[in-house]
Amino acid sequence: MSTPTHLIRAISVIAHVDHGKTTLSDRLLEYTGTVAPRDMVEQVLDQLDLERERGITIKAQAVRMLYKADDGNTYQINLIDTPGHVDFSYEVSRALAACDGAILVVDASQGIEAQTLANVHQALDHNLTIVPVVNKIDLQQANPELVREEIQKVIGLPAESVIFASARQGIGTKEILEAVVSRVPPPTGDRSAPLQALIFDAKFDAYRGVVTYVRVLQGTLRPKMRIQMMQTGKSFEVDEVGVFRPVRTEVEDLSAGEVGYLIANIRNVRDSRVGDTVTDEARPASAPLPGYRHVTPMVYAGLFPTETDQYQQLKEALERLQLNDAALVYEPESSAALGFGFRCGFLGLLHMDIVQERLEREFDLTLLATAPTVEYRVRLRNGEEVPVDNPDHLPDPAEIEAISEPMVLATVVVPSTYVGNMMELSQERRGVFLNMEYQPGDRVVITYRMPLAEIIHDYNDQLKSRSKGYASLDYELVGFEEANLVKLDILVAGSPVDALSMIVERSKAHQQGRRLTEKLKTLIPRQLFEVPIQAAIGGKIVARETVPALRKDVIAKCYGGDVTRKRKLLEKQKEGKKRMKRVGSVEIPQEAFMAVLSLD
Amino acid sequence: MERIKSLYLHVPFCTWLCKYCDFNAYAVLNGLIPAYVEALSAEIRASARTFPLGPLETVFLGGGTPSLLPEASLKGLMDEVRELGLQPGTEVTMEANPSNVNDSNAAAWLAAGVTRLSIGIQSTEPGALRFLERLHSGEEALAAIRTARRAGFRNISGDLLYGIPGVSTNRWLESLEAVIDAGVEHISAYELTVEKGTRLGQEVRSGKVQMPDAELQLEQYWAAVDRLDRAGFSHYEISNWAAPVFPSRHNLAGWHYQPYLGCGAGAHSLFRHDDGSSERRWNLKGPHAYIRRVLTTGEAVEGSEVLSAARARGEAAMIGVRLLDGTRAAQAFPVERKRLVGAGLLTEHGDEVRLTRRGVELANQVGAAFLS
Repeated sequence: MSTPTHLIRAISVIAHVDHGKTTLSDRLLEYTGTVAPRDMVEQVLDQLDLERERGITIKAQAVRMLYKADDGNTYQINLIDTPGHVDFSYEVSRALAACDGAILVVDASQGIEAQTLANVHQALDHNLTIVPVVNKIDLQQANPELVREEIQKVIGLPAESVIFASARQGIGTKEILEAVVSRVPPPTGDRSAPLQALIFDAKFDAYRGVVTYVRVLQGTLRPKMRIQMMQTGKSFEVDEVGVFRPVRTEVEDLSAGEVGYLIANIRNVRDSRVGDTVTDEARPASAPLPGYRHVTPMVYAGLFPTETDQYQQLKEALERLQLNDAALVYEPESSAALGFGFRCGFLGLLHMDIVQERLEREFDLTLLATAPTVEYRVRLRNGEEVPVDNPDHLPDPAEIEAISEPMVLATVVVPSTYVGNMMELSQERRGVFLNMEYQPGDRVVITYRMPLAEIIHDYNDQLKSRSKGYASLDYELVGFEEANLVKLDILVAGSPVDALSMIVERSKAHQQGRRLTEKLKTLIPRQLFEVPIQAAIGGKIVARETVPALRKDVIAKCYGGDVTRKRKLLEKQKEGKKRMKRVGSVEIPQEAFMAVLSLD
Repeated sequence: MERIKSLYLHVPFCTWLCKYCDFNAYAVLNGLIPAYVEALSAEIRASARTFPLGPLETVFLGGGTPSLLPEASLKGLMDEVRELGLQPGTEVTMEANPSNVNDSNAAAWLAAGVTRLSIGIQSTEPGALRFLERLHSGEEALAAIRTARRAGFRNISGDLLYGIPGVSTNRWLESLEAVIDAGVEHISAYELTVEKGTRLGQEVRSGKVQMPDAELQLEQYWAAVDRLDRAGFSHYEISNWAAPVFPSRHNLAGWHYQPYLGCGAGAHSLFRHDDGSSERRWNLKGPHAYIRRVLTTGEAVEGSEVLSAARARGEAAMIGVRLLDGTRAAQAFPVERKRLVGAGLLTEHGDEVRLTRRGVELANQVGAAFLS
């Protein structure tokens, strides 16, 4: 028995990281009986092991709940949980496109932070109705009234619309559900119109092929129907449609306004593109839905298998992962030092970290990642413009007319005490001050224009450490700007290691070269011979350090029981070496390739 | 299974546990000796039925302090060993603490069938002996060598330690010189190694003791290599030197990866199977548990590990390269050999390889190359 359209709601929960949106989602599931309290594993919606371990949400999840409201009606509420970290704002945007409303969660002790603002802007861009919730009111440091005032002044939502809640203690859950059914509008679609369903996520099931997550906006989706993907033109016959409660549950159909999944024996991950529109082949919609904004990777890095024979496995793993992580882009790359691998584009460093960890865990690979870099645009003397996402591919300086780098608008929210520190840090990072606004609760919103390259090099960590953890950051790409940049090469034992080169601002190049060689000296273990580490700009050596040769490695006694012990010790040392990459005759550990990230 | 011609017997008792020692040894358990010797005899008897054992070419009584064994116990044990069959000229080594070496003991050891004495001198320098918590003086240690000689021992080895905190290279050479002068056929000189779980280990960790750096350790090592070479000793293993025809045959068998049986608490054995695989087996460490188990079941195995033929070859090469006259044990590893020769750690002589001077300093790196 399907729910009448006017009783359907589709909402997301949005929040700055750690403000408690996943816990709040858990309470909603419990309160509506979607999950029995005894089955309640904490953070039901975070399905990846990695998400539970790190206590963060990476992937959007979609669940259908049934809620009997005070007006006597039973509503179908489709809840899409979203990540809060700045790296994953793209996931947020995908989730929001499939919703009519959003619950905005703000921590009662932290107040509005950088991603709170970013998420609100995205929600407003998608015309969503916002239900503001001040969470964690049970905490001792909570100041819900002040945060309510902030929401009114900064976001412009009326103070009386704010709901006080404590997801941990279950306070406010009913009020939130009532607000959702009364404030968020029902979907406007027509069940009998030609089918238009938006793909907002997908994952691969080893037995069933691709499981496509959709929101039906017009028409009805049924099994046996022949569907067409409007962007790719490919057709499939629907095998099964269903909803998440929160486990996959088959249903008879999905009609306008509903959120669920479809399985149609889709084997190739590329045939189910996030942002594409699913329609009825027999009675197609006149036009596709507006897709998502195209995702632009912020940082690029090489991923290489430490064992060269794992290249093919890595390739397949990336294909699989990309289905579930639309923001990941990659193409084959070869490095003189590291062999064959892939140049990958990521949304940010956390995203990169998570991709690497998922590849290693879910696909049993051992990978080496090179230092992340941004994409530069190089204008050549012959007028041609080429993108460069790998420092080693920078053309010969003689051919270069100018290099441009990506710039961001960085928004930092910070208590006023730390404003001085923030300004100092941002200026060190080539930031140009744009604006400063005071907010209630003694907080300041500062905006800077600065190179993205400076942000990915440890900026967020520095921001946190210079503000005792209070500052929060959001940024968006605003274009490219010319800068005076040079390539810094690193030579290990006399040979350049392509995977260690970086593009830096000319005035900082010497200093960076010195710091990098010093850092590498501490990271590259002693080898059988002395290993010189040099930094060079345009062939000229600007810094040099030396890793002294291993002096002594011998045990005095080797009798009976010592033998087993010695063999185990040596085997263990050898195992540790597998995490290193042999470049020429030098063993270089993973950390060395990441050294450029933390030079300050 | 390949026939076993070497036997190791472990005697885990000491009067005092020196702070650097991590061998399987126990102080103040002397009351256990009769029961222990009975168990050890039982294990030897049972092993003779289980394994292709003997006639023996080498026997080694190690510890702990086997020289603490009462005369009758030692004689009983050796009678048991003789039941396995001895080759003419079997090498029977016993480790001895200098404090136990006197005329009557030495005569009794010879009478029991011990042919080689390995005396734990460690140092003759008073400060070093205090640091090591040895209960004898340097003079007593040197006297022990002369006493053994007088009693009729023709094959005497002295154990020494270098790299002791506070002992200069010159002082170390004085100890070495004194032992050479006292007249020995064999010298083992070991770097003092800090082992986990020892009192020395704690003192180093807490910063109370600072060990000499690698540079000084190597200086003392190579100084000893020089001195012993001039005295006519042949440097046949990383830590061992011998006058012509006097290398320890028992230890050589081990370094050549020949099988041996170890009996006693915590003793290890090596078996070689016909398919090239090998098996290492070890006994329960605690003497009480060992005795109880042997007296009920005839054996006291705590664990074992089988190494495939390929891994066994790797282990054999890892041990074999420690033999400084060269080894054929690395024949199966042409790629690794080539790399190590290129790195200056090995030289090749036909199908044999030899550690270079640098190879000796980095012998673990060489050994590890052969492990999979």
